[in-house]
Amino acid sequence: MDFCKTVELLYAALPLRPFRDWLIRIHMDRCPGCQERLLSREEARGLLVRPDQTGDVEALWRRISDEACRLAPSPKAKGSGGRLAWQWAAVAAMAMVVALAGFWLLREAANPGFEARAAAPADRFEIASIQVGGVPAQTFVYQPQGTDTVFVWAQKTP
Amino acid sequence: MDEREIIEGCLRGSAASNRAMVETYGTLVLSVALNVIGNRQDAEDVCQETFLQVFRRLDRYDRERSFKTWLLTIAYRRSLDMLRKKRRFTEFSARARFDPAVMERGGAVDPADPAPLPSKLLETLSPRERTALCLWANEGYTAKDISEVLACSSSTARVYLFNARRKIKALLENDHGLLQNG
Repeated sequence: MDFCKTVELLYAALPLRPFRDWLIRIHMDRCPGCQERLLSREEARGLLVRPDQTGDVEALWRRISDEACRLAPSPKAKGSGGRLAWQWAAVAAMAMVVALAGFWLLREAANPGFEARAAAPADRFEIASIQVGGVPAQTFVYQPQGTDTVFVWAQKTP
Repeated sequence: MDEREIIEGCLRGSAASNRAMVETYGTLVLSVALNVIGNRQDAEDVCQETFLQVFRRLDRYDRERSFKTWLLTIAYRRSLDMLRKKRRFTEFSARARFDPAVMERGGAVDPADPAPLPSKLLETLSPRERTALCLWANEGYTAKDISEVLACSSSTARVYLFNARRKIKALLENDHGLLQNG
């Protein structure tokens, strides 16, 4: 009995749940003395409301069905829901158009334009053939060392 | 109608199945809410909200689990919500210096219909302890079943139940001692 009191004191003193659970498991669940100091099922039932004491279920069902009917969407509400969906779709489409226009304008502002791009040096310069006086010309290509400059010299074929 | 048929019917939106569900489980949910909250009007509100939520969310119910436990889990959470709401209201009315008795809903209690209420002794327990005690005593739930409703570990549910049984027993013994001495 003294041991039980010690265990009970330990239980009260140590608030750690794992420790309490351990105490319940190793001692209080098995000790008849401690079990007697716990409320029995019958005693608990005497203090609680049992399902068979709660009364008429019919009234409860009426209440629940009334509320369910009230919360159920009416046909009118469904129509307004559809209209709302269309409104949302229109707003989303408008937002997309505005975003695309903004993106295009930003892109235009960031790039100086077509002319500037055309003035930029080409990556590759190619001449298929050169004619002088309607006949194929003699062509010489020079590139000075250490530069990107290319000279093309064409002369009438002798 | 058995449980599976009721659930299938409710999923199809059948009013008869909804009614059968309330008739089958209504008293159970109401008793749990009543024992946790301790007030009939609020317990009926919780019961109503629980079933409405069940009808709306029945498609989320996992058929592998016990339907009763799933239903009681919703009822328990709704009861906790109601207790929180009431606590906030009480704090507000205390701050605003209102008389809570004036603000309370519901009419006078009809003496012809003495609806049973749980013992005042249960007010000394936390809502979790009250739920654990109620499920254990009324429904024969084990600590594992209780842990599913309370969303805690099985060992934590054991501690709640043990505390509830110990506290109430001590209070009963105190009362008994006082009566004998008095």
